[in-house]
Amino acid sequence: MKRTNIDESILSPHISSPAELEVLSEKIRKLKAPSTKTVRVCGGPGCTAKGSLEIYALFIKAAEKLPEDIKIDNKCVGCHGLCERGPIVIIGSGDANGEIFYQQVEEPDVAEIFRETVLGGRIVERLLYEDSTTGKKVKSSEEIPFYKTQERIALTQNGIIDPTSINDYIAVGGYSALVKALTTMNPEDIIDEVIKSELRGRGGGGFPTGRKWRSCRDAEGDQKYVICNGDEGDPGAFMDRAVMEGNPHSIIEGMVIGAYAIGASQGFIYVRNEYPLSVERLGAAIEQARETGFLGRNIMESSFSFDIRINRGGGAFVCGESTALMASLEGRVGEPRAKYVHTVEHGLHDQPTNLNNVETWANIPSIINKGGEWFSSIGTEGSKGTKVFCLVGKIKNTGLVEIPMGMTLRQIIYDIGGGVKNDKAFKAVQTGGPSGGCIPEQFLDTPVGFDELTRLGSMMGSGGMIVMDEDTCMVNIAKYFLNFLKGESCGKCTPCREGIPQMLHILERITKGEGEDDDLEKLEVLGTLLSEASLCALGKTAANPVLSTIKYFRKEYEEHIYHQRCPAKECRGLFFYEILPEACKGCGICLKNCPVDAISGEKKEPHLIDQEICTKCGICFEKCPFGAIEKV
Amino acid sequence: MPKVSIDGIEVEVRKESTILEAARKAGIWIPALCNNPVIPNLATCRLCLVELDRGGRKQLVTSCNYPVRGDTVVSVSSERARRARRGVMELLLARAPESEELKELASRMGVDGTPYPTVTEAQRNCILCGLCIRVCEEVIGCSAIGFAGRGVDRSVTTPFRLASEDCIACGACAVVCPVGTIQIRIHEDTGEAEISPFKSRAKLLVCEECGKRMVTEPVAFQVNDRVKIDWEKFRKLARLCPECRRKKAAESVAMVALKKED
Repeated sequence: MKRTNIDESILSPHISSPAELEVLSEKIRKLKAPSTKTVRVCGGPGCTAKGSLEIYALFIKAAEKLPEDIKIDNKCVGCHGLCERGPIVIIGSGDANGEIFYQQVEEPDVAEIFRETVLGGRIVERLLYEDSTTGKKVKSSEEIPFYKTQERIALTQNGIIDPTSINDYIAVGGYSALVKALTTMNPEDIIDEVIKSELRGRGGGGFPTGRKWRSCRDAEGDQKYVICNGDEGDPGAFMDRAVMEGNPHSIIEGMVIGAYAIGASQGFIYVRNEYPLSVERLGAAIEQARETGFLGRNIMESSFSFDIRINRGGGAFVCGESTALMASLEGRVGEPRAKYVHTVEHGLHDQPTNLNNVETWANIPSIINKGGEWFSSIGTEGSKGTKVFCLVGKIKNTGLVEIPMGMTLRQIIYDIGGGVKNDKAFKAVQTGGPSGGCIPEQFLDTPVGFDELTRLGSMMGSGGMIVMDEDTCMVNIAKYFLNFLKGESCGKCTPCREGIPQMLHILERITKGEGEDDDLEKLEVLGTLLSEASLCALGKTAANPVLSTIKYFRKEYEEHIYHQRCPAKECRGLFFYEILPEACKGCGICLKNCPVDAISGEKKEPHLIDQEICTKCGICFEKCPFGAIEKV
Repeated sequence: MPKVSIDGIEVEVRKESTILEAARKAGIWIPALCNNPVIPNLATCRLCLVELDRGGRKQLVTSCNYPVRGDTVVSVSSERARRARRGVMELLLARAPESEELKELASRMGVDGTPYPTVTEAQRNCILCGLCIRVCEEVIGCSAIGFAGRGVDRSVTTPFRLASEDCIACGACAVVCPVGTIQIRIHEDTGEAEISPFKSRAKLLVCEECGKRMVTEPVAFQVNDRVKIDWEKFRKLARLCPECRRKKAAESVAMVALKKED
């Protein structure tokens, strides 16, 4: 979809100095200032799923009917973060009124928003966010608790700029870091700045980025490569996707700066093919960057040449592992290799290769612009800057958040996330994707950082955060993640290939009530073996969900093993269904639906389940309109 | 040359040697399955784990591919290293319970059986180390076999699990197989060699003198291709098995000698 009303034909190709970029940036800003109203419809994955693209199309249609002299800047922007309340539409009034944040907008609302707010400057009250603690409606996003304590670096321009337009990015200061780096800094200065920032890899490893760059710069090789790892595959995680689709130029800018610092002439972005929009947006952004002279031969008329290619991944989770990713880039099967010889020395095609995650690259422009010291002033002792997390699971405000390192898990879950859904009791939060650990209530005041989470038996990972409530069975959850990893294990090395299915086999028995006395010990032995003997990080961390749940929820395992009971009442067969006589109206719905005729009772009389016949299928529980069936 | 201390025994090795090579030099045995000088750097079986001491920071590494770059301290017999190797062996035994080779190695390691059940219906009695695949591709140049499936359901097989047209039945895979899973079967009735379990068959050349079976025809063809000799000439040379050829040669030498005596 093309944007309307704003002149797009202002690209002046080949920027070669800071002054030229400033002139262009100014030019773009002037075109829109000051009375131009903006309509920003969220095009993030959550809002798109709720129909935001249709809403966007209606805004464009509405704007087309206006007379020539009224200009409206309609944009479909990247993820705003508060996916729970999508689709989100933000109206920039262009005057002192500031911005108005509308949530849960539906197609019929568009005409009203357009008439009242865009043209009339009035607020549509019912579409505003209501603060559940105060009951007050708030107008702008800054007043919403979800956004209040967030701090955005990687996501700064996400949700503000049109990701398909390089002009929009330049207008908010985009590519100024690249221009600064190439015209005023030498490669060593850049690396020093990144080292000073103490930025650590955001993909999960947490390796100091600056040190990686220096090793790669110092390594001997005719050709050096930089790679952006966009093979995000954790269930429930979409941090990298949000950046790739919401602000692709920030990644490209980071990569060009990195390539210049390291001495690389070719870059690759490895994106999973399940993210077609990411591929499209990055492709378009690369094209625009080439046209403007930020990519290609003699960037900004210097002697530095660098270009980026996109490679699509076939969806193997293990290809997010750096050596497997490089094997895949080379056209081979995506399997990891031992890292005793580092990829910064012998990586892609045996040449020095620097691989960083999407979020890491997206942090670079800000570090160059504001300095390493500024970045390292945010965060904790060992973890600097901010981190993007995907808050999912049993939480009120599902969404994408960026927080300063050192914020506690409690602040993230309760202040930003709004607490557990349906006000159930909190049970655990799993951080770090499928091979992260489950952290219980008593550690909720732990500040978020690489080392802090590792100490708890979990990890930072790439930033997944799954909240679980009292109805979640921790044995079952460990089984779920292990099953995922079993399917994603490449099978190259023995411990991962054989160990995961063996552990899964034990967990399956336990959740069926067939646990044995030494099962926990066996699980711990296997888990330790996996972490010590596996070839790559997938195997090394695969046991985390099991080991952490045994550590923190041992009782729950023991209930399954020794008493054949599932305290969370999730494991089928390890709890009963019973009819509460006082709540039962004798409607007969359960009786009719029971597939094994285990329910009996006269009409209008309380019914009864025969536990001998009952197969615990749960159909009666789902069908009862009065909530008269209980899990015990 | 860097010094490697293994369980207290010190040896000097060439830089970039592996710990396993150093251990052999020191006369210390480390069990290893997928290690083969022809195919270096596999490190898939994980049986050769040892404990590396990096100034107090200890870490398990596979000795078959860990390069020695400076002075290195390694423990083969530490509790942690033994436990890890035992764990790996137990998993392998669950995967390949019928392999005599594996059982023998296990008993040498002091592992007498596995606590684990069989959890997959995929290929049994194969430890999926991948040596056969690599030797077929890199040394023989045929790529007749490869991995199919992933994770625990992985198996070594031919395309579509049918007898492969690319297989020359050379038997290199059977030679490198560390657990004796791949076998060469000779079918006397048809005069063919079969590579089991891949079902690939090829006719064997027969010694014209004694009738003994020699290499398979496609192997002879491939040799011919590689050394570029005349096939007819090669055929003449390949008429006899090495033994008969030696006998013939000896006979002709004797004939010459007899003639001289005359």
